[in-house]
Amino acid sequence: MSHRTEYRYAQPMADGFTATHLTPRDTPWQHVVSVALHVDPRPDELDESFDQFGNPVTRFAVHRPHAALLVESTIVVDVQPAPVVSSTSSWSDIAAEASSARGDLAVELGPYLAHTAQTPQLDSLADLTDAEFTPGRSIVEAVSGLCARIYYGFRFEPGITDVTTPLASVLSERHGVCQDFAHVSVAALRRVGIPARYVSGYIETHPPEGEPKLVGVDASHAWCSAWAGELGWLDFDPTNNQMPPLRHVTVGWGRDYDDVAPVRGVVIGPGGDQSLTVSVDVAALD
Amino acid sequence: MTLASLAYAPVPGRFDELLDTDGEPRAAWRAVARALGSFDASVLVDRQGQADRLLAAEGTGHLVHELALATDRHGHTAAARAVSHPWRLDPIPFVLDNNEFTLLADAAVQRMQVLEAVLVDCYGPRRLVADGVLPGALLHSLAAHRSAAGERGHRPWLVHYSVDVARDSLGHWHVVQDQTDAPAGLGYSLLNRSVLARVLPDGLRIAGAAAVHDHADTLRRALIAAAPSGRTSPRSVVLTAGPADPTYIEHSYLATRLGLHLVEGADLVMRAGRLWLRVLDGLEPIDVVYRRLDDAHLDPLEPGHLGGGGGVPGIVWGARDGSVTLANSYGSGFAEHPLLRPYLPAAAMHLCGTTLTLPALADGTELATSPVFDGSGTPSLVGRPAVVRMQVARTGDEYAVMRGGAARVLAPGDHPSHPTAQIVKDVWVVGGGVASRPVSLAAGLPQVDFGGSVPKRVADSLYWLGRAAERAEVAAQAARVVATQLQQDPMVLSLADGAWAIGVHALLRAAQGASFAPPPAGVPAAEWVSAELGSTGAAVAVQLATLVQEATSVREYLSATTGRVLQRLAVAHTHLVESTISADELDRVLVDLAALSGLSMESTVRGPAWRFLDLGRRIERTLAVLGSVEAALGLAVPPLALQPLADAVLSANESLVAYRRRYRSDVELDAVLELLLHDDSNPRSLAYQLDRLREHAAGLAWAEGSALVQSASLLSLATVDGTVVNGRRVQLDSLILSVRAPMLQLANELVQRWFADPVNPTLMRGL
Repeated sequence: MSHRTEYRYAQPMADGFTATHLTPRDTPWQHVVSVALHVDPRPDELDESFDQFGNPVTRFAVHRPHAALLVESTIVVDVQPAPVVSSTSSWSDIAAEASSARGDLAVELGPYLAHTAQTPQLDSLADLTDAEFTPGRSIVEAVSGLCARIYYGFRFEPGITDVTTPLASVLSERHGVCQDFAHVSVAALRRVGIPARYVSGYIETHPPEGEPKLVGVDASHAWCSAWAGELGWLDFDPTNNQMPPLRHVTVGWGRDYDDVAPVRGVVIGPGGDQSLTVSVDVAALD
Repeated sequence: MTLASLAYAPVPGRFDELLDTDGEPRAAWRAVARALGSFDASVLVDRQGQADRLLAAEGTGHLVHELALATDRHGHTAAARAVSHPWRLDPIPFVLDNNEFTLLADAAVQRMQVLEAVLVDCYGPRRLVADGVLPGALLHSLAAHRSAAGERGHRPWLVHYSVDVARDSLGHWHVVQDQTDAPAGLGYSLLNRSVLARVLPDGLRIAGAAAVHDHADTLRRALIAAAPSGRTSPRSVVLTAGPADPTYIEHSYLATRLGLHLVEGADLVMRAGRLWLRVLDGLEPIDVVYRRLDDAHLDPLEPGHLGGGGGVPGIVWGARDGSVTLANSYGSGFAEHPLLRPYLPAAAMHLCGTTLTLPALADGTELATSPVFDGSGTPSLVGRPAVVRMQVARTGDEYAVMRGGAARVLAPGDHPSHPTAQIVKDVWVVGGGVASRPVSLAAGLPQVDFGGSVPKRVADSLYWLGRAAERAEVAAQAARVVATQLQQDPMVLSLADGAWAIGVHALLRAAQGASFAPPPAGVPAAEWVSAELGSTGAAVAVQLATLVQEATSVREYLSATTGRVLQRLAVAHTHLVESTISADELDRVLVDLAALSGLSMESTVRGPAWRFLDLGRRIERTLAVLGSVEAALGLAVPPLALQPLADAVLSANESLVAYRRRYRSDVELDAVLELLLHDDSNPRSLAYQLDRLREHAAGLAWAEGSALVQSASLLSLATVDGTVVNGRRVQLDSLILSVRAPMLQLANELVQRWFADPVNPTLMRGL
């Protein structure tokens, strides 16, 4: 995988501070083989650590005038397909288990039950949840129903929304990009009491022979993960109506986009225009 | 009419601070009540007016918000500036018996300890969530619970804490709200006490209130003690959002009281894992930040940051690594969240094994009243509820509660957490004797003397302050001189075919800093001279606005007296904007500007800060002398017109009296030019300004600056004879042109060399 982010500034900037979530983490189905981060100009300071969700974070700073900043990560991961699961546990039992959890489980699930600024508690979410989360329905069916409902009910339209578009307008306009659909599904699940993670990652750019090219291959992608009690976390991708997602690579997860934004930065300088180009390429090695 | 006859009648059955159920003053109030009963109500009306004036003088920061400026030099628009109004200090204090205060103080300390424990837990093991005391969904939905404020070392989350308490109508105390993020009110309390102590009649002054001023020292010690370990002489700063912040006046006052630099986000930078202050000569390391910038505005690199690029990028990470202490720590704002309050009693029991002494105030609870003086109309005492804010500072394991505070009066219908009456009472703790708590010396690490260091932004503001002050004076002086000449002899307009009018038109334009433009043809001279007078008055107003604005952002570098002069100038600015310009008004402005200039010479320590203020003055004065001479004397006019024009240019440069004393003759051009250009004993002459500039450039060891001043000095020595070409004295013109060029370059280079640091953080987004 390679993820290339390039900023160009109208005038040189004196200082630049950047925090990135570009390094994938290990999951039950994914092992990170190698990570190389290339920053140009070379950072004067660099620091690697983990955030409170366990995602790797890289922070760096450039303290000399620079008119452009290039951040390029090249990563090799070993990915196994996640198994297709079925379960007879009802979603309401799962929700009850989550809300009455104590000890380590309560601490683990807490963040993923919380409504945040990007995943607010909205009445309009009922349009999505009421029909799917019916009494006694199994968690797997209900979640996959939600995933399909978003896939068929919302138009994928790049360029209209951005990371600051409120969820309410995504719900009323019924269009957006993968980040928006991930937020919709996360907020809907939390509304019915199911812990849900916002997952940030990539999709393989070129599909194998005979399979369709997926949506969201040209930039970083986002989807959702629902907690299903004993089954653990079930990933699903409402943008592509896949459960479990295929040919996806997980980078990290949190409560919402802000927790795992791939690149956040601040530059100090004369102001003026800045331009941003992002390209992502994910290819199978064998 | 004495206050005793004001017939204060609290509502029966509702607890009143002053009177008990029998209508008698409570024990703690007796001395105050006796004093109140002994003097005339008009005394209190006077004293309240005096308090208003003193607060307004300190509160220049409030006035600046109302200046009619579209944008300031930093690009802030008027709309972005918060409008705030000065509060009114009630001349009657809020008196608390020492025993009762001690109970409240213990409750405040207990609460601070519980909130500290909650912070440690919620950013650490989360036992409250694991054990079902606090829902995890609630905890993580609060934006104030910062995801980046994770594991930390041993330092406390809270160094400074404040709590609002209120008494209900039965006499029981309740907690209204906590402040753990950037607690406000300490500076206001100190300011209120200092004002009240000055204005109160003697009878009230001796009522025996405990002192509060030592709490600033306590806070300073607490900040030093919180420094990262191993720093032998920690450096602390007060971090503010800047003059647009509604509580900026408090930040500025507190910084002065603490003896610390008041800095804005752009003054600080993270480098090599340390926090640094941008000063004139580079960077100075900072160890402790007393932040009055809340969590949400602190670090643009952190998720959930509000307010664009403000704050200090990377400071949260630096604090997390322990290289700099934030007081209070990043993320501590979470503990004051109202949604957390219902869980605090259980949390106190779970984490600390204690029962909170004071309950939270339930909505709609009827509150006790206290007497508030109303001097409008017939003086009277009105019973109003008030909320008392208490201040606690923590040094290691010691907690110090300020023995006093501020009681904010509620207007009818106010929620106790948002008083809108804008009336504050000084809280007096009486009956405890002299404070006997020993001062802890163990934590007293020496604080570095910042005397020699000046933040770049401060030098920048002082420089522009100096320029604006001088330009305002030049414009006011020119307008007054021309208006006076016109008033004394309206016929002067037609003197020598209008030569005088053409000359003063140019003089007024030069005084505004406007470029030369010939008077409009076909319009009577009376009209364009009067129009130019009007726009010169407007130019004075603009310069005054700039002056007050720059002064506000460096308030703590200026003396208290300077604050009062600035206050007067801010008021004058309003008058100039609102009404047509009058000679009286200009006179008052000139007197205040002279006072300002005198204060800058006599009451300012001659450090680098003063040097930049004076550099601004000297550069502006140099340009003004050149401009006025060029405008009024460059044109060859008949002798009849030369006389009043030379008078005008001498007056505009405050040199007419000197001229008359020295030459005792009618005006002669050579003598005028000698006095204004070459006489280095005349403090208004070009030569005098160049001498001062030379000293400043040398004092800063600034070679480029010295060279430019040297070049201007050599060129200024050229002799000028009366050669006239195309109606102009060409040698005079050429001298002025040749001196002005290096002066303009000096002004440019100065900004480039000393202030040009790109300090506009911009947020970048990635996908």
